[in-house]
Amino acid sequence: MSTSFTTSSARNVFYGGTAFFVLLFAALVFQTESDIPQRDRREMLAQNPQVAAGKKLWENNNCIGCHSLLGEGAYFAPELGNVVDRFGGGEDGKATVKAFIQGRPAEGIPGRRSMPQFNLSEKQLDEIADFLEYVSKIDTAKWPPNIQG
Amino acid sequence: MNANALSPSPAADGVRRLPGDLAIWVFILAEMAAFAVFFAAYAFARAGNVELFDAAQETLDRGAGLANTLLLVTGGWFAAKAVHAARRDRIAAAGRALWLALACGAGFLAVKAMEYADKFAAGVSLSTNTFYLFYFSLTFFHFLHVVLGMAILAILLVRLRGGAYGSHGVLGLETGTAYWHMVDLLWIVLFPLVYVMR
Amino acid sequence: MQYPSQAVAKPYFIAALGLFVAQILFGLIMGLQYVVGDFLFPHIPFNVARMVHTNALIVWLLMGFMGATYYLVPEEAETELHSPRLARALFWIFLVAAALTVVGYLAVPYATLAQITGNELLPTMGREFLEQPTITKIGIVVVALGFLYNVTLTVLKGRKTAISSVLLLGLWGLALLFLFAFYNPHNLVRDKFYWWFVVHLWVEGVWELILAAILGYVLIRITGVDREVIDKWIYVIITLALVTGLIGTGHHFFWIGTPEYWQLWGSVFSALEPVPFFAMTLFAFNMVRKRRRQHPNKAATLWALGTGVMAFLGAGVWGFLHTLAPVNYYTHGTQITAAHGHMAFYGAYVMVVLTIISYAMPQMRGRAANSDAAQTVEMWGFWLMTVSMVLITLFLTGAGILQVWLQRVSADPQPFMAVQDQIALFYWMREWAGVAFLVGLVVYLASFFVGGRKEAAA
Repeated sequence: MSTSFTTSSARNVFYGGTAFFVLLFAALVFQTESDIPQRDRREMLAQNPQVAAGKKLWENNNCIGCHSLLGEGAYFAPELGNVVDRFGGGEDGKATVKAFIQGRPAEGIPGRRSMPQFNLSEKQLDEIADFLEYVSKIDTAKWPPNIQG
Repeated sequence: MNANALSPSPAADGVRRLPGDLAIWVFILAEMAAFAVFFAAYAFARAGNVELFDAAQETLDRGAGLANTLLLVTGGWFAAKAVHAARRDRIAAAGRALWLALACGAGFLAVKAMEYADKFAAGVSLSTNTFYLFYFSLTFFHFLHVVLGMAILAILLVRLRGGAYGSHGVLGLETGTAYWHMVDLLWIVLFPLVYVMR
Repeated sequence: MQYPSQAVAKPYFIAALGLFVAQILFGLIMGLQYVVGDFLFPHIPFNVARMVHTNALIVWLLMGFMGATYYLVPEEAETELHSPRLARALFWIFLVAAALTVVGYLAVPYATLAQITGNELLPTMGREFLEQPTITKIGIVVVALGFLYNVTLTVLKGRKTAISSVLLLGLWGLALLFLFAFYNPHNLVRDKFYWWFVVHLWVEGVWELILAAILGYVLIRITGVDREVIDKWIYVIITLALVTGLIGTGHHFFWIGTPEYWQLWGSVFSALEPVPFFAMTLFAFNMVRKRRRQHPNKAATLWALGTGVMAFLGAGVWGFLHTLAPVNYYTHGTQITAAHGHMAFYGAYVMVVLTIISYAMPQMRGRAANSDAAQTVEMWGFWLMTVSMVLITLFLTGAGILQVWLQRVSADPQPFMAVQDQIALFYWMREWAGVAFLVGLVVYLASFFVGGRKEAAA
């Protein structure tokens, strides 16, 4: 069996194959951009500027460093993609979220994991709650499997 | 049809060998593995949704699918002819065969594009239901392979004209046509699986 | 060592190992916080420890890649580095930027850090692994561009080999993809979608090119196998890596608001992602089996083989375990992900950097290999760290399976924290395995200071 196997064909197959799959990936990304407006609830962002402000707060306090959001982040603290629903949904859910954040003891809870006290203003709490409500409305293909996240 | 045209290579040295370069065969195997997983996923999804799959399958244009099968098989035959001719230094004949193989590929793309246009006009898309998810994913993935196969044939044509192939060697030509044969082989599995089998 | 300018790699390697220590120490803090929730609270909350842990990892791997590049490019190109001075200057800039960032993480609350670094002007902070202040990110880009300028010019003026081309392609891809870190739309779905262009396309894309190039280089040197053979293996491996890995990005697009066809595309291609890693294992073992010389550096050979095996287990097998959409539906965002992340990063990228360090450091210290005594200590370090990492992975997998069952699958799903309490035993075992890892790391570092009589000449 004398099969040919040259470095130059291996190289050409690499560059050609990579170019092909890069283009395929680009096509799928393009298709995704045209499909996600039906799923990502962008109208909520447009209607309520507090949502974007809440996202900034979410980022500036590094919430992802303990929590997961739509399953991504750290796994030290509960999933928050559906937390508004878990806490009762709608205005009730948002009020409970705000009360929870507000009520964290500054010195923690002996022996237990505890969320830091971020000293957020009432306005900031509203922004965070609106952001989390927006996230809970995103169409995530029915994930998580149940309300516990 | 000259049976010799389809044999991988002259057995002059009495040793059987893989036509073309091993590098393309690794790529072909990787691609076939991807299709195999797609096919397995199709079978798995269909098992859970037999009625949906059968009903949606009825909306596909089998005539177009069959025409495309014939186009690709013919295209494969022309590519094999090209290798055969080039090996005998009949460069002009080899060039014609490559052009005809390219024409078959173009014909395939045209028929497939019409099928897609029909489906889009009917408001059917990738997200309509599970069957169409598979239909569009599998056929589009294959469609792009036809495009890539044609790009490879075009490169082969240019190189053939430049005198790269002849009785002194047809390795590059074999390497490229091996990929082209994969494209029609995949369709020969895909067509019955998605269009016909129930 | 054939070219004096290769020596600029040395500070990179030393700093990489220093950050490695920091990474492990903060990992132990986090591991303890999993079971003793108020440990160091509120001074070092979990999110801060985690930032240091993950960011230190990324920075030290980048330092390792840069050191590896500076070391191997002159040899591959058969010419001196374009500018050793630039390489040394960039080293200090990078190190100081990294140190200041860590100090920032630890000294002030994250929100304050965001404020004083002007995150308002171009908000990029607060996303997983990309927590660095925007100004640090800009610094990373500047350092990367200077680095690429330096090594690209070196390659262009010298011999062009498959290894240096693949390495450069990987490094350029790394730098360009990092630019997505500056894109942070308000729309969370699009934010997450493009975030993966950095994270996934790094570790399951261009980093694999870097990995293959470094591994190929070390295998050429220690086995004496023909370069041509190695080159072909490298091309085959990276072809498979990109064929599977590019569309494999889709396995992150199952549940973040992206269209559902990604469940099919992502599952199909990521199901094949173990293939390139398996090829890499075969590659390493085959080359060592066909070796044409007995290189005195046995420790480097061990690291190279270890990279092949552990990358396949961590990235390949543990990745496959939860990559299919119907499985991932239940495992997404659980300790299963953490288990995979640990072994994949260790097996693929930590080990390949330690491979090149193991090969290059003795050379830079004027000998072909360390003494047998030093190598024995180094190999003890290898086994302690590797076995500990296997245990960490197994314990996290156990924690994950229980978590999935109690929280997601069982008829009566329980709240997150109630579940965490029930799986605390696994977290304790993970923490002890982490301590063993630290012991392994100390042993490994000690090997650099072991003398011994039988020192082969360079």
